[in-house]
Amino acid sequence: MFGSGRVGLARTSGVRQFIPLVARGPFGYACAMRIVVPVGLAIGCLWVAGCDAPVDHFPPNRVHALVVSASRQVDAELAAEDSLSVIDAWFGTPEQPRWPKDLLRGDAAQHLVDPDRLVRAAGRVYSDQENHHFGLYNEHCVTCHGVAGGGNGPASLLQNPYPRDFRAGVFKWKSTARSSKPTREDLLRILQHGAPGTAMPSFQTVAGEDLEALIDYVIFLSVRGEVERRLVDIAVDELGYEERRPDADASLLGVVSEAPQAADTDAADLAVAELNEVAGSWAEAPEEVVPVPDETPFDAASIERGRELFHGPIANCVGCHGPDGDGQAATLDYDDWTKEYTTRLAITPDDDDAVRPYRQAGALRPRQIHPRRLTSGVFRGGGDSQTLYRRLLVGIAGTPMPGVIVAQEPSATGLTAEQIWDLVHYIVSLSEQP
Amino acid sequence: MNPPTEISAQHDASAMRSVWLHRLAVLAVTLVWPLIWVGGLVTTYDAGMAVPDWPGTYGYNLFLYPISTWLSGPFDLFIEHGHRLLGAVVGMVAIALVAVAATRERRRWVIALAATILVAVILQGALGGVRVLLGDRTVAMIHGCFGPVVFVLCCVAAAVTSRSWWDRRWDGRAAADRKRPGRGVVSLATTVVVLSYVQLLLGAQLRHVQPTTTPGMFTLEVASHITGAFVLWALTPVLFLLVRRCGDLTLSRPAGWLIWFVGAQILLGTGTWIVNYGWPSVLAFLPFGEGFVVRSKGFIDSIIVTGHVAVGSLILATSAVVLLQVLRHRSLVARGAIGASRDADTEKLGDDRSSHENNVAVPV
Repeated sequence: MFGSGRVGLARTSGVRQFIPLVARGPFGYACAMRIVVPVGLAIGCLWVAGCDAPVDHFPPNRVHALVVSASRQVDAELAAEDSLSVIDAWFGTPEQPRWPKDLLRGDAAQHLVDPDRLVRAAGRVYSDQENHHFGLYNEHCVTCHGVAGGGNGPASLLQNPYPRDFRAGVFKWKSTARSSKPTREDLLRILQHGAPGTAMPSFQTVAGEDLEALIDYVIFLSVRGEVERRLVDIAVDELGYEERRPDADASLLGVVSEAPQAADTDAADLAVAELNEVAGSWAEAPEEVVPVPDETPFDAASIERGRELFHGPIANCVGCHGPDGDGQAATLDYDDWTKEYTTRLAITPDDDDAVRPYRQAGALRPRQIHPRRLTSGVFRGGGDSQTLYRRLLVGIAGTPMPGVIVAQEPSATGLTAEQIWDLVHYIVSLSEQP
Repeated sequence: MNPPTEISAQHDASAMRSVWLHRLAVLAVTLVWPLIWVGGLVTTYDAGMAVPDWPGTYGYNLFLYPISTWLSGPFDLFIEHGHRLLGAVVGMVAIALVAVAATRERRRWVIALAATILVAVILQGALGGVRVLLGDRTVAMIHGCFGPVVFVLCCVAAAVTSRSWWDRRWDGRAAADRKRPGRGVVSLATTVVVLSYVQLLLGAQLRHVQPTTTPGMFTLEVASHITGAFVLWALTPVLFLLVRRCGDLTLSRPAGWLIWFVGAQILLGTGTWIVNYGWPSVLAFLPFGEGFVVRSKGFIDSIIVTGHVAVGSLILATSAVVLLQVLRHRSLVARGAIGASRDADTEKLGDDRSSHENNVAVPV
């Protein structure tokens, strides 16, 4: 059966005999090196990668603390430290997130986030026999958006545009007013459809309940991050934090103290008020949806009127998008996330020395924002007519794209609803041109 | 060596070669590569923790888990359990490999190689188990990096038990006409192997990236991975040209494949980046990138990513076999395999059985 070479066998065994056997082999050390080198490299890589220890805490927003320090000329390190203590106590950890329901006023805010879904979205990635997935944020989002939703995950630096920083509470793609939070439907839409031309994927293959859990977690991270920012602000602006902690009544540490009188301090009142304001803004989002009037006829006359508005002084789209809508106009601008640690602090974004402390604190390299090339027909937040109407009406939050003033009648300062539709029609026609 | 002697030597070589050992080694190769594919798919779908226990599956013995539940269950469970079953089959083949080597193979270092393969397969299975029991992504990365090593060992086993290995050994006249590969060729072939594995490790780092990895470190790893890919691609034609001068097709052919493999791998790597992170800025001049939508866990997208993983292993294994053959060729030519006597040759090649074993009659 085994058609060849049967020989008598003299067995050697044991490590002492095996190792020289391998090393000697037919080729001596080369053979041994093929084992030693990969093992050495693997150990080196492990050293670089680090171990897969659970992430105990959300990372602090050090960039915002630096911004507060620079803008107020006050050391905000202690304020940031104490704010983080409050945030950790209220919102838990990446492994065990919490929703501070008891501190929130109003049913909508209390039930903004479902604690069970929050737990499903957090922690380690696994699934069960019923195809329930857990650790969804780590599975789908963390590599780009980061542990705390700061938009500074491992892969963020290589993306253009950068992933969204949820902590500022500013979202681009939504149906609500410019300064409002998005609705759950807005977030679901971006999750399902992705953002064309960016790294934001379409999660159409992910189950609906998983997407709902992700939406909860995104809202959770955004509320958590925005409250953290606000606490640092009020700690410096109102509670008197400097290089030393203020008195007990104004200390944020008292907020998380278990002492019975802790809840009655000024710091506690202010902190809880900020929490409620942020959560409330999310709860009110459905009421902030921008109504869209019936679309006017999409015809040549409408397109021509839109073309005139596009090039005219009121809308002045041409100023950024260029005469042909191809985004070729010379612009130099940045989004609000970048401006926070650059231009708003009188720092030139390409001044590497001035930006360096912020980069070291976790900020990404300042990168220009460019107007959309409308001739491509690619609209990252959705290209349907209703979405484009809202986009023209309220602009894009966090970017230089402005909204317009709505006028009842044609005027020199605003646009009527019909005129906005004309603009929508012209913009759509740009991508349909051969 | 006169012709009749050579023919006689060929016959003896054939007699000493275990066909079944070679078949088992080839079977191991053909099973381990798909196993790497399936393992890659498990990672691509984040399905490594679709089965929480190990070595069983949801309380069942691995082999007794109901097939109907397996096939009709979630896709994550399907591929994870399938990965385990295929791994178990590879384990059985590895056991058979050792058994056949122990009874049919006379070269001790080949027996040691077979034993090493079995140990490596067991270790790889254990790593997979530890990854599940600890739920640890770093162990998952080690598991992913060690799989290709097992694949390389199987390929080496297939090479050293193949007919061409023996033919080269006994084909004295042909060998005499061939050029001995210099140290430069050996160094280059070794560099290609090491660089292939470094690339694999870097790729694993990117694939199993930790949430706390800084953007700067990730960017550095990506830059290193891309640079390494092009350096490797530049080295492969040089290696091909150098080994071709040795005048042995069995040597230069796999070196030629390497050029294509690495080229395809660069394309797959680009595709992997695109389906994971969107259209890169450096390719913005291509018209269809502007509206490209990344689809999370789309099937074709997953195949591209997993293909990148699998071809990485293929490159490593091919380069390892090229290095092995270069060393073999160099060794044979150097010692004049060639006109030297068969007995002397046998002794030098490390077929370190005692001399009386060499005289055992070989049934044909």
